[in-house]
This record gives sequence, structure tokens and C-alpha cells, in this order.
Amino acid sequence: MRHEVVMRRGPRRLGLAGAVAVAALVAGVGVALGAGQAPALEEMVASGALPPLEERLPANPLVVEADSIGSYGGTWRMGMNGGGDNGLIVKTVAYEGLVRYDHEWKGVLPNLAESWEVNADATEYTFKLREGVKWSDGTPFTTEDIAFAVQMYQDPDYAAGSWIDNKNNPVTLEVIDAYNFKFIFGKPNGMFMEQQASTDGIHITSLQKKYCSQFHPAYNENAAAEAEAKGFSSWALYLQDRCAWGWETIRFANPDLPTLYGWVIDQPLTANAQRVTWKRNPYYWKVDAEGNQLPYIDNLDMRVSQGGVEELTLAALNGEIDFQERHIATNVNKPLFFDGQEAGGYHLGEVIPSASNTLVLQLNLNHLDPVKRELYQNKDFRIGLSYAIDRAEIIDVVFTGQGEPFQVAPRPESQFYDESLAKQYTEFDPDQAAEHFAAAGLTEKNGDGIYLMSNGQPAKITVDVISALRPEWIDMLEIMQLQLGAAGVEIELNNIDRTLFYEKRPAGEFDAQVWAGDGGIEALQEPRYYFPFSDESVWAYRWAQWFNGTRPEIAEEPLDWAKKQMDLYNQVRASGDPEERARLFREVLAITKEEFPVIGVSLMPNSYSIIRNNLKNAPETMFNAWLFPTPAPMDPVTWYFE
Amino acid sequence: MLSFIIRRTIVMVLTLIAVSIVAFAIIQLPPGDYLTSYIASLSATGDQVDPRVIENLRNQYGLGQPFYIQYFKWITGVVQGNFGHSFEWKRPVWELIWGRLGNSVMVEGLAVLVMWLIALPIGIYAAVRKYSLGDYLATIAGFIGLAVPNFFFALILMYLAYVWFGTTMGGLFSPEFETARWSLPRLWDFFTHAWAPVLVLATSGTAELIRILRANLLDELKKPYVTTARAKGLPEWKVILKYPVRLALNPLVSTIGWLLPALVSGSVIVSVVMNLPTAGPMLLRSLTTQDMYLAGAIILLLSVLTVVGTLISDILLAWIDPRIRYGSK
Repeated sequence: MRHEVVMRRGPRRLGLAGAVAVAALVAGVGVALGAGQAPALEEMVASGALPPLEERLPANPLVVEADSIGSYGGTWRMGMNGGGDNGLIVKTVAYEGLVRYDHEWKGVLPNLAESWEVNADATEYTFKLREGVKWSDGTPFTTEDIAFAVQMYQDPDYAAGSWIDNKNNPVTLEVIDAYNFKFIFGKPNGMFMEQQASTDGIHITSLQKKYCSQFHPAYNENAAAEAEAKGFSSWALYLQDRCAWGWETIRFANPDLPTLYGWVIDQPLTANAQRVTWKRNPYYWKVDAEGNQLPYIDNLDMRVSQGGVEELTLAALNGEIDFQERHIATNVNKPLFFDGQEAGGYHLGEVIPSASNTLVLQLNLNHLDPVKRELYQNKDFRIGLSYAIDRAEIIDVVFTGQGEPFQVAPRPESQFYDESLAKQYTEFDPDQAAEHFAAAGLTEKNGDGIYLMSNGQPAKITVDVISALRPEWIDMLEIMQLQLGAAGVEIELNNIDRTLFYEKRPAGEFDAQVWAGDGGIEALQEPRYYFPFSDESVWAYRWAQWFNGTRPEIAEEPLDWAKKQMDLYNQVRASGDPEERARLFREVLAITKEEFPVIGVSLMPNSYSIIRNNLKNAPETMFNAWLFPTPAPMDPVTWYFE
Repeated sequence: MLSFIIRRTIVMVLTLIAVSIVAFAIIQLPPGDYLTSYIASLSATGDQVDPRVIENLRNQYGLGQPFYIQYFKWITGVVQGNFGHSFEWKRPVWELIWGRLGNSVMVEGLAVLVMWLIALPIGIYAAVRKYSLGDYLATIAGFIGLAVPNFFFALILMYLAYVWFGTTMGGLFSPEFETARWSLPRLWDFFTHAWAPVLVLATSGTAELIRILRANLLDELKKPYVTTARAKGLPEWKVILKYPVRLALNPLVSTIGWLLPALVSGSVIVSVVMNLPTAGPMLLRSLTTQDMYLAGAIILLLSVLTVVGTLISDILLAWIDPRIRYGSK
């Protein structure tokens, strides 16, 4: 029987090695004969509308293990918040890169690439694509598509930013044959595989040459005229409309765009869509342990709200949502959802956030005002602030007791967890605070009990915050305002719009900004609070520019400790050895612990997901992050309804 | 009458030109432009954009040009019926808004109808039977309607529907009718969904109308001509409806123009809460993402509605109240 399988697929093999590989695969996972497909597809094959399954599947389909073998059918209902919620799609269907993460967010697994090799200094990555994978329109997926994506992303007229056109470490592509290619980097890029397994990995596999090249003048001399005929002012805008990059919202508005996803667009995401629906991709290239083509679930149904989550919350309570964490799993709603489990026919799953902290207070260490800059750069001042915060009160009042006092540090689930880094200066101790303020040169107070800075002005910190993003930030800051006021530092809340929030950063005159503690689990990839790493390192925005070489006009040379960290992180990037990277990164974190650049409040409490009781193989516990775009890495293609 | 209308129309066009300039300027007022908000949303997800790419986009969108050039380009397009492209959706603005404006006009038009249908009889009753039990009940209900914010009423209604009937209230259509063509079943489906938002939107307006009508009518009812009419033996209903009510309506008619825009802007939060695909949520989103042509078109169309509404109310006023002479000798 096994022999038959090999024979059936044999003609499309290029050599003996491939046949052996299939045999090994068959022996290894026991792919059963007569591997199944969805009944609807079977009918289409019978009527001749679709080629038979073995011609649609690759020679070596990706076998996805799951708790149980499922059955076909059903619709997975979920909800989007507002029209621009492409995030839900990215985190549900669009996560199909060369490689993917395992369920524990530890290792990197093959996906569209079946194998890869790295050279010793991590500058050359050689990939082998899975042979015979087809786009949703039946066209083979080959290195031509990879080369086309690289060309588009590097074309300045195609507005997309990613690692492909990263100026700091430019990549060149070397195509070996239809299935083998190399990425060659100018500088060592030790974390490239992790990056490919993250959301960033979906760029390179997002554009099909056959379809998208028709909009580019290099392939179609009439491209500009056709764009104009469609009412676009340039071919570039038309190209971006038809073939938007990676996870751009507009990408999901074009049902004609071929993809490699488990489901393909039925009702597209347009400005007026009240529902975005997906149907199974007949050419999907993953199978279950018995060789049945995935996905099990026939359709996805995403209802689109008009920007509010009230209706979505009620729908979930009513059992009209099959699996969802995004948008609805708020702290406030938890008791409501907990009580509604029986009536709604669902239960709650555990979701572990990747963020370490509920609120990160980032003083601007690069402040243009020399007095403030000196004060904010003084470690004792920051330690004093940290001691003056009564975290237990905030946790009780805002988070109904969930969470614990925590600094901005890797979470307990992370391999980089360090209790002393996470817990230092978190106790509420006004005396210690006063001592540290004195050490920072704050001794005199004015009539309101506020310390005077060296220029005689009261120590007042204006904190920028976007309450629309996380309403609890305002609640927390209002408590902190009282606590810090009592300790002698005045806090002024400045609730602003997101655009202004970002515009203020380069100007360098803001006192402090507030954000959540990204990088609690993915500390290595997202070290923005551990050293001046990116534009999101708001506390040292100008040092980060120095590190990245962006915006040289405002870049500033960092202090020695930060330079040491940058040096260490560059070594992390250059190393191909995970052990070595971990060791080096621990050194970075040791300096973070010593210098204490940003102030955290409490550990981000676990969230929850709504799981319908008849939905099987869905994860009872999962991480939640952007780089680990849950639930997609938990293989929703293997979920099914009982 | 004709010259009155012509004069009014000319003033209307001039007003609209002024409004379009102001609207365009207001949209440009917040710091940054669509691309800044685009970069902001990208960086929030940890993505970085090459400044060169942004520069290219800025040129492609024509965002780098001075205000008056951008305005001139936009308004010449508008005059030719081209409202420009939405940055976010890369679609012609007109294509995006007509469906939503239609929904808005339907839902909010119904709300106005319901408002008048409920408010007129109750208002008249409350004035004629002043200080009766019915008047007090109407007054209490009216004040509650005025005091409860629309969106809060919507939330309560949705929660009660969930707790009592186990249904999820929201939207304007069932899934199977969302993209269907208009037909009798679709119309019925629309009404089964729309009654709730219409009721919510009508409450505060109804309350306001009842109060205004009651006060106006109370003034009129005391006047000697009413007593005369009664003395002449006219039936009571005719005494009240023929003159006092007609006069009491004047202030209501003169505000028709403001009614629609007030409903559209007032319905933004209700639409968001009850998930109604009307123009409100789209206006809100286009303003936050600084999708300026989309926001500009919606604001401009709302202004057109206001101005046209004002014209209609002027004409109506002149028609129902002969004392109004058309503004000149």
C-alpha cells in the first residue's frame, strides 16, 4: 500500500532522493491511503471542476500533528473591531511564511520551506521550498515568486517596509533553481530564522509573480494606462491596491489575489463590509497525520463591528463566537464571560500575554531641557519614583487583584526571567524614595510639597498617554499621580491622540510617555525597554537613532553603559548559536538591571479566550503576541467542530 | 415666492463654498497627515517604514503640496462629481459613502418621522390638558428621555434583549440580507432590525419636541382669538388644530435644517454601540486616521444637507405662516 502511494506520486518526483523522502514520510507518520478531502471538494473533483487531490498537494505536504483527527465542515465565527482590523486576519489566516513557530514559541519549524541551512557567520541562509506547493489559483509556488517579492519590496515605488528593504542590513537574493534559494546579508543576522517564523516572515511569501507582475511596468508596458483607466493616478497606487504587501488592510479587499492561506477570501474586507468571509483553499498544502487535506473547517465568518465591541461581547455570550481572544477579552468583561459559560455553550481558555508590564513609565532621558535631562538620567531619581508607587493599591483598584508588582523585565515564562530584575525597587517605601530623591539632588520643596529641581522649578512630569488604546492607563496614572504627588513629584496627565504621540518623539521635548511592556517573552527580539533598540525605545529615542543610523540629524551618542549594551546586542545579532545569543543577551539584561532605565508597575495579568465547547483541537493555553500571531501558530487549520 | 427661492439658493451656494473651505481646513488642522497616522499604526505593531517609502507615498498622494493647491484640486474634482480617493481604502470616496449615507438617511429619516409622530400628539395633549396626570407622565417620560444619553439607552436595550430574549441586538440586516438587493423580505428584515436604533435615536429628540411644542402651544392657547373661536362654537379639536397648533409648529419647522446633521453626528456613538453601518462611524474613523478626502466628503455632504434643510424649512415657514414676508418689501 505504501508502495502505491509512492508510485502515485512518483511521476512528479525529480529523483530517487525525493521518492525516498516520501517513503520515509509515509513510514514516519503513517499517511493513510485514500487520504481525504472535504466532501465539497470531492464533488468538484468528480465533476472535473478541480484536479484530484494528489495533483493539488505538494510532493511532501506539511504534516501538522494535532490532538485528534478531525472531520470536515462548519464555520468558525469571530469578530473584527472596525474596518481596519487587518490584525485579526493576520493572526488567523495570513500567517504562512517560509517557517513557523512551534506551539511553545520556542523552536522554528518548517512551513513553506521544507529545510534550510545557515553558514557559520550567519550571513547566508539557504532555503529549500516544498516542491509542488500551489497558490490558491493552482499556480505553482516557486523561487520566481520569492524573487518577485524581493524585487517589489526593494522597489521604492512599492510602498512597503520590512526586513527585505532594511537599509541597515541589506539582503540580496540568490536563486539556485526553482526550489532552492539563498538570502545573503551584508552583516551577520543571527536571529533571521526567528524573524522569519514571526509575523515578519509573511512578507516574502505574500506576492504571486503571475498575478501581481501585470500591474508593474517592468512586466507590463501598459500598466500605467491600465491603472489610469481604473481611476488610479499612478501604476504604483494601482499595484498597491491589487497586491498590497504582507498584512496591509487593503490586501484583504481583493478576492482575486492568489494566496497560500488555508482559507481564501469570499466576501472581502472593504470599507463597508459588515462581514468578511473565507472559504477553504482547495490547494492548501498541509495535511493531518492521516494525510487528510487541511483545513477541517469549511468557512470563516468575521463579523465587522463599527468600532465598538458591545455587540461582539453579546454575541460571544450568546454562543455566536466560536473562538476569540482579540478585542473582547477585557478585564472588565471577565466575570460576565465566566458566568455566561454554561448558557453560551463555551468555556474560557488561558491566554498568556507576551507583554511584561501593564504600564511602562518612560522618562525621556534625551530631554532637550538640560535640567530635566540631568534629573531623568539620574538613576536615583528613577529609583525614588519607583519606591514612591504603591503598586498593591493599583493592582487592587484597577486590576481587581490580578497581577503582582513587577518591573519591566522578562516574564516568569521566559528563559531570561530574573527575579531580582523583575522585583527590584517594587516595594512601596516612602523613606527609601525620599533618600533616593535626596541622592538625586532633590532636597528643597515648595509650598505644595513638590521638590524643586536644580533650576528652582518644581519637579513636574507631563506624562503623554493614549487612553483610547488602553483605558486602564488613565485609571492607573490617576492613582500614581496621587502617590507620586505625596512623595513630592507632580504628575500631569496629557491624554493625546496617537498621531501626536508619535510626532512628539523626534522633537525631544516631551517629559515622559506611557506604553505597555512589550518584550516580556520575546525579550530577545523586542528589547526596546532593555536598551535603546528602536523608535519604540521612547525613553532614549535619540540614542536609539544613533544605534540604528536612522535620522542622523537628531541622533545622539549614548552614555557608555548603553553603548556597551548596543555592542553586546550587535554580537547577539552576529551569532548563529542560540546558546551564545542567550548568554550575550543576559549580559545586556545585567546592565539593564544595574541602570534601571524605565519604571514598571505590575505584571500583565493573564487574559482568556472564548472557546465553544464543540470546537476541538483549539488551545486551552496559548501565548498572545504580535510576533507570535496567536492563534495562527496554534494551527487553526487542524481545529474542527464535533 | 420664486425670487425668494432664487435669492435663497444663491446664498446657499455661497455658504457651501465657504463651508467647503472651512471643512477642508479643519481636516488639515490636526498635526500630521494620513501618512503620520499610518506610520504610527505600523510602529505600534513593531514595524518600521523606510522614510524613503513614506516620501514616495506622500508624493503619490500629493500630501506635500500647500493647502490651497490641495483644496483647489479637491474642489474642482468635487464639482465634477469626483470626491477623490480614500487613502485607507484606496477606493473612490463616492463608492464608499453612498451606501452608508443611504443607511443614515433611512435610519435617521425614520427616527425623525417617529419623533414627530410621537411628539406631536403628546405635546398637544400635554398643553391642552395642562397639569393633568397625563401631562405629568409625559413630562416625566420626556425629561428621562432628555437626560438618558442615547448610547446608554442603546446599551440597556441590547443588554435586556440578551437577558430576556437571548438575542444579540445590533446591525441593520441579518447576514443573509447584508449584501442582497432590495426586496420585500429585505425591507422587512431591515425593519425588524431598525426599530431599535430608530427608537433610541428618536427618544431624546421626541422629549425635546414635546417640551417645545407644549410651551409654544401654551402661549398660543391663552390668546384672545382662541377664546373667540371657542365662543363662536367651533368644535374643540378644530379650535386647537386649526390655528394654535399651526403657529406652535413654527419653531419646529424652522429647525428642520439642523435636524438631519444633528442626528448624523448624534448617532455616531449609537451606531458604534449598536453596530449600524451608517455614515457616522465612517466619519469617526476617517477623522482618526486622517483619511482627509473621505472625511471631507462626508462633512461636505452633511453641510449640503444642513443648507438644503434650512432652505426647505424657510420655504415651509413662508408657506404655513403667511405673516412671514419674504425678507424684503
